[in-house]
Amino acid sequence: MPIVFENIHKAFGDKVILDGVDFRIDDGECFFIVGASGAGKSVMIKHLIGLLRPDQGEIYLDGEEVSRLSERDLYPVRKKCAMVFQNATLFDSMTCAENVALPLRKHTGRSHGQALEAARERLELVHMQDFADSYPAELGDGMKKRVAIARALTLDPRYVLFDEPTTSLDPVSARRTDALIRSLCDDLGVTSVVVSHDLVSIFSIADRIAMLYKGHLRMLGTPKEFQETDDPVVRQFVRGEAEGPMDV
Amino acid sequence: MSRETLFALPARVGAGILSVADQVGGMTLLLGQALRRLFPPRVDRYELVRNLHRMGVQSLPIVIATAAFTGAIMVIQAAPLVIRFNARAFIGWGASFVTFREVGPLLIALMFNGRVGANNAAELGTMVVTEQVDGLRALAIDPIGYLVTPRILAMVVMIVALTVLGDGVAVIGSMITGDLLLDVHPRTFIASALPMLGPWDVIVGLIKSAIFGLMIALTSCYFGLSTRGGAPGVGRSVNASVVAAASGIFVADYLSTFVLG
Amino acid sequence: MTQAGLSEGHAPATSRRLGGPVIDGLRDLRDLFRLLGRTLSLISHGKREKGAIVEQMYFIGNRSLVFMCITMGFIGAIITFQSAVQSQRLLPDLTMLGATFIKLLVRDMAASLGAMPLATRVGAGIAAEIGSMVVTDQVDALRMCAADPVDYLVVPRFIAATLMGTAVLIIAGAVSIVSGMLIANGMFDVNFHTYLNFSMVTLGDVALGVTKMIAFCAAIAIISAQRGLATFGGSEGVGTATTRAVVGSSFAIIVLNFFISGLGYFFVPS
Repeated sequence: MPIVFENIHKAFGDKVILDGVDFRIDDGECFFIVGASGAGKSVMIKHLIGLLRPDQGEIYLDGEEVSRLSERDLYPVRKKCAMVFQNATLFDSMTCAENVALPLRKHTGRSHGQALEAARERLELVHMQDFADSYPAELGDGMKKRVAIARALTLDPRYVLFDEPTTSLDPVSARRTDALIRSLCDDLGVTSVVVSHDLVSIFSIADRIAMLYKGHLRMLGTPKEFQETDDPVVRQFVRGEAEGPMDV
Repeated sequence: MSRETLFALPARVGAGILSVADQVGGMTLLLGQALRRLFPPRVDRYELVRNLHRMGVQSLPIVIATAAFTGAIMVIQAAPLVIRFNARAFIGWGASFVTFREVGPLLIALMFNGRVGANNAAELGTMVVTEQVDGLRALAIDPIGYLVTPRILAMVVMIVALTVLGDGVAVIGSMITGDLLLDVHPRTFIASALPMLGPWDVIVGLIKSAIFGLMIALTSCYFGLSTRGGAPGVGRSVNASVVAAASGIFVADYLSTFVLG
Repeated sequence: MTQAGLSEGHAPATSRRLGGPVIDGLRDLRDLFRLLGRTLSLISHGKREKGAIVEQMYFIGNRSLVFMCITMGFIGAIITFQSAVQSQRLLPDLTMLGATFIKLLVRDMAASLGAMPLATRVGAGIAAEIGSMVVTDQVDALRMCAADPVDYLVVPRFIAATLMGTAVLIIAGAVSIVSGMLIANGMFDVNFHTYLNFSMVTLGDVALGVTKMIAFCAAIAIISAQRGLATFGGSEGVGTATTRAVVGSSFAIIVLNFFISGLGYFFVPS
């Protein structure tokens, strides 16, 4: 069963962020949620693992309604649905290897030493094995993001959420991250949900795209459909034009 | 006088009381949640050891230096009175009694608060504003069991250990100063202290310091985890945490002095 | 960064661990005295804004008065209780309880015990405030406007903290006498008149006590301002600066107290 959002409403104080959004994401898809800054993209995916609760509406993951679960009941959900945060959020008191080892140690009953061993293997997948004993503060943004991806993948999740994975990266690191995300879908069959406004990523790796605008779903479709659309707002966004009808 | 100015003071007092009640309630809840993780023990042993080590290393030099100076200052202050009442024979007992019961636990708690408590609030606050706490939740790791419980345990254990050490250093400081300033030989000093001190005097002090440690741990975890608003927010949290813990220490000291005295 | 580069960076770090703290301590001390010098020279001929000192006086004085009175109130009660229990073991006469307490309070405790919580409150505040301005580049913005950060930020806080801190310590000390008196009366039947015995207090004691207060408050202001200005590294940096301000000023109070009390013992006989 895929991911389903049904009529999601969310406001912070008086500020309405999501005002009734519905869509579904199919298994094995590389699904992009796009929109201007502050359109509620990150808010949307944080709902999926219970970091935020909707004011109204339902969210289904594998057929299970997750928006009303207690914190403890959310743990199994979070084990199969990992998240890579915008700022990587590596724990800065730990080395890279310890960061990756933490979920292994906590959830697979391995000892500290065994978990570190396994963590080094995981770091090899993202080509970060040489930095296993470095602290996050010693790394650049692109490297941190790769370690964060390795950490998110340790429990072999079926779904991975990416919050602006290429923002603040240099172009080369950004394209490498894109390739990594795409290979998760193609090689491991992972469903990726990517929040982004990086036009290059959107049109090179997305299977389908949902665009949020003013709290509503403005358009849902394939990259091709987005490029050929007649909607002036969507057209302005995908072409990155300064002039147009879009309010940001 | 307009209505606003007339009601401004009671309104501010009321708001102050409400916010203190809110904080005390929040800390009590946090304590409850943290203690629940002990039955059955779901404490991260690795984090516990790391925190014990870090807190001990952080505060060891400052505790030793503080204790040594404080021991010396106590004798310097008491010296005129000792001479006046000709109480040289009692100085050993007086200095050790005050150190064990009151000055040792209190000053070490204040230093521990400034060093470890403030640092802890800053660390947790930074983890909140940089989304590391959400990162833990996203990895299906319970932030209370992983972050709070080990820190509370580590702080209580460490402050008691540091107080034992600090008490010793302070008494030695008093002894040396007594010898230099008042010609009280260390043997006289010890001879006046030993017969009149019971184990109870030491135990009372250690119970107090465990209470202070719990106080510092709860305040710094609570204020750290409720940080909002970026880098200035972390500064505000640390500030609020050390001030609240300092007030808490004095109130707890007052209450425990009467209960245990 | 290559691995070789990393390990090169780590090797001196290990060896630096030995001499590092000593050198850091000396460097901090040098920075402190420099800042103190700049501040003192700018007091006479700085061109800071009008009202800045009054504003800081309000923040530092009025906003910590309640906290300090509560704290010192408890201290007065605790010390009176402890010393009454202690002296009862030796002789049952408590007539000198108040006189002794008041003398010690004036000579030392109003300043030293009061300055510790004051350092927590005022020192953390100054460091957090200046530190936040540093990490958000506001201090550099001040420099761009040709305003001297020391003149603009440190001098008003230094003057305000020294004046108001001393005033707050005196008031809080008086509160602790009252609370001690209430405890002595309520629990040990010492009447108010017997307790409020100032006969042992000399002018020298008062001078010594006030000197300590001024020295401690000035130390709190300078150390916290220096820690605040030396902040680096985002939100974690502000936290670290605050920590170091509280610990640094508390420790400075203890060390200063040791020296001033030592001098007082020889030069201000009681």
